[in-house]
Amino acid sequence: MPAWVSTRHGARRGSGTPARASRRVVWALALLASACAWAWCAHLLWGTIVPGNLHLPHVDARRFFSASLLRRTSSFDRFLDIAGVLGSLAEVVVLGVYACYGHRLMKESAAGRIGTGIMLALLGFALVWLSQAPFDVAALWWERRYHVIHEGYVAGLIGSFLGLGASFIWIALAVAVAMALAGWMRRRWWIAAAPVFAALALLSAFVSPYLIAKTHALGNPVLTAEARTLEAREGINGTPVLVRNRSRTTSEVNAETTGIGPSQRVVLWSTLLDGHFSRAETGVVMAHEFGHVARAHVLKQIGWIALFLIPATALVALATRRRGGLARPEAVPVALFVFVVLGLVTVPLFTLVTRRYETEADWSELRATHEPAATRRVFERLASTNLSDPDPPAWAYVLYARTPTLAQRIAMTEAWEERASR
Amino acid sequence: MGVNTSADNGQPGRRPVRLVLSDDLGRKRMTVGFRALLVLPHFVWLGIWSIGAFFAAVANWLVTLATGRSPAALHNFLSLYVKYATQVYGYFLLGADPYPPFDGRPGYPVDVEIDPPAAQGRPTVALRIVLALPAILLAAAVFGLMSTNSGSSGQFFDFSPLGLAHAAAFLGWFACVARARMPRGLRDCVVWGVGFGADLWAYVLVLTSSYPDLDPAVVLGELPRRSDPIGFEAGEDRRRSRLTVFFRLPLAIPHLVWLLLWSILAIVAAIANWISTLVTGRSPAALHRFLSAYLRYQAHVYAFVGLIADRFPGFAGAARSYDAEATIAPPERQNRWSVGFRLLLALPAWFLAAVFGSLLWTCSFLGWFASLITGAMPRRLLNPAAQALRYMIQLNGYLLVLSDAYPYSGPCRQEAAETPPAAPGAFG
Repeated sequence: MPAWVSTRHGARRGSGTPARASRRVVWALALLASACAWAWCAHLLWGTIVPGNLHLPHVDARRFFSASLLRRTSSFDRFLDIAGVLGSLAEVVVLGVYACYGHRLMKESAAGRIGTGIMLALLGFALVWLSQAPFDVAALWWERRYHVIHEGYVAGLIGSFLGLGASFIWIALAVAVAMALAGWMRRRWWIAAAPVFAALALLSAFVSPYLIAKTHALGNPVLTAEARTLEAREGINGTPVLVRNRSRTTSEVNAETTGIGPSQRVVLWSTLLDGHFSRAETGVVMAHEFGHVARAHVLKQIGWIALFLIPATALVALATRRRGGLARPEAVPVALFVFVVLGLVTVPLFTLVTRRYETEADWSELRATHEPAATRRVFERLASTNLSDPDPPAWAYVLYARTPTLAQRIAMTEAWEERASR
Repeated sequence: MGVNTSADNGQPGRRPVRLVLSDDLGRKRMTVGFRALLVLPHFVWLGIWSIGAFFAAVANWLVTLATGRSPAALHNFLSLYVKYATQVYGYFLLGADPYPPFDGRPGYPVDVEIDPPAAQGRPTVALRIVLALPAILLAAAVFGLMSTNSGSSGQFFDFSPLGLAHAAAFLGWFACVARARMPRGLRDCVVWGVGFGADLWAYVLVLTSSYPDLDPAVVLGELPRRSDPIGFEAGEDRRRSRLTVFFRLPLAIPHLVWLLLWSILAIVAAIANWISTLVTGRSPAALHRFLSAYLRYQAHVYAFVGLIADRFPGFAGAARSYDAEATIAPPERQNRWSVGFRLLLALPAWFLAAVFGSLLWTCSFLGWFASLITGAMPRRLLNPAAQALRYMIQLNGYLLVLSDAYPYSGPCRQEAAETPPAAPGAFG
């Protein structure tokens, strides 16, 4: 090694030490401030209207559900949960292998730096889709066996394939943004990427209601009047209520709140309106969804995504350094792997947040309807129509339960009733 | 390599069914005007002959299945039937001018030669109809189904039941009435379809075990060499990555969305280009550059989706950045009359492009399976698809007022590109 190399390094070490130390301090302070800001935002998002001192009574599921129904729901849900776990493992394995060897597919591209990165990302998710297909088919078989889904296998696979195509638009956009930022800002790309991705999530949330097919306005005048009354009670007048035709493909009952701002709407599945649920029970479901609207849960979930993205993109940036950073297409498979693994690791946190908001929507519904009996009946019906396990094992609850268990929801209804009677 | 290249590996040798073309393109207006009526006796005779041919075909199939070779008598009868049908359709679709004989004798300007009986593999004989299904699909695109109850809507992606040969004959009828001459490109389209039809019939009737070949260079022999201002060059490499082939459509979705967004700008730019060219007689350099990049990008995306090329294309439409390339000459002086009435003049080409679109996507659909299984796009699908895309690109260049050269309808070889070597994409 030439002598000047060690001399220069020595000189830099000698003259740069105080400056570097002070830079480190600044960075540490900035990091601490960011962590505090992150925690403060999380605290704000975590808050709900459910009283903190609410004590849920113990509810024995056997009081509300027959033994045969409990066996049936448990069997139904466990298969799907196990298929989900195996599917996630397969996803990790596929992306792990892809992270090691995916860059070899660069020769399939003539698209330049960003275009090649997009192609590698799309191929990565295409392989994930392929790895999930057997689990999806198995889940479909199981759901058909229990008469929850009526969709055929070919239609299911085609639908899933088309869904993959639609998701490719967002993936391509996200990779293009990340790689462009990485090319411009080098190692610090993630600082700008997190807000940009959050903006993309906002955009996606805004346009998604317009992409829901087969919807029509709520035609029933009694239910329409009921919806207007409940909206007024929740203080969210003018929220459109649509009906989505799902009767041909499933017997599952559901409703959803989608969109933000002007695009926000409540979508009831047609299976809810086929006569099995009474007017009061349908009102309970609508009030629950209005609870989501009133408490801005869609926006809050995007807030959580934004909070997740900050450390996640930083970790992706760190993990891709060995491949030259995300500006280089060969780093994309590694980025996918890290991002998806982080997503899987944080699934329990996201389900926890979702359960919390579902709890808040339930509480909001009880305050708006004052119908604890109808609310209880809805939960009882959900067990038989959707085959939701009222009392799943802890691991399944932590990993997959996006709502409180039916037993917990009934317990909360009873807790509300008790408070209201005071 | 030009769009119709065939000097690469996979080029067949002498085929057992060969088109013999001696047409001079001259047409008599009187017989063209009444062509559909004049051909009626031939159709009646062909129908009667078809009944006999059906029973002969069944007998030929059974005997060939048993002996591995078509009997000479049946082979001669069915060969004559194929030759006669070729001559009748060659006449009806304006591929030739003289009234054809009723006995299928040789010497007609659009004729076929069929080799004497040869040994055939029994498994392929047994499954002949099933094996012929892909070729029947191709025949529907290049020749057409007879049920012409609905025409084309003028969009590229519509499947037209008309078929290329019928569409070319329809357009050719007007040209022949006006000029007493069938345009070479349209005649070649007709003969391409008729020749492939003969090849298919010979295969279905168990006259040969050689699979029908849609490559225009194989059906028509030597193709005209052309040096158009807007051309298309497909790469030589027919190898395809099975992974990207399997996911070709989802992979193309970001490109299709980007192309759609770019198209909105391109329409605005095309209007500006039309006005400028109408006033100055020449396309402004900036607009020409932008629209050329758009057209190149369109060619890249269609080539990728249509399996004419393998690699994932870039998003900027940069020149010489892809394996399948639209070649676009620099701005040239254009005839103002042709510019002024561009949309009207483009209508016939638009109609033909719809049929070429059917051909392109049929080839791509079949090529998807072939590429997935063999890892290579068959030459007999690649070259027709490239010809179809070349025509669509030429039409779009014409519509975007990049050139006043009318799209050449027939299969052809493209001469060397004239694209400036360092032309950038639209975005740098």
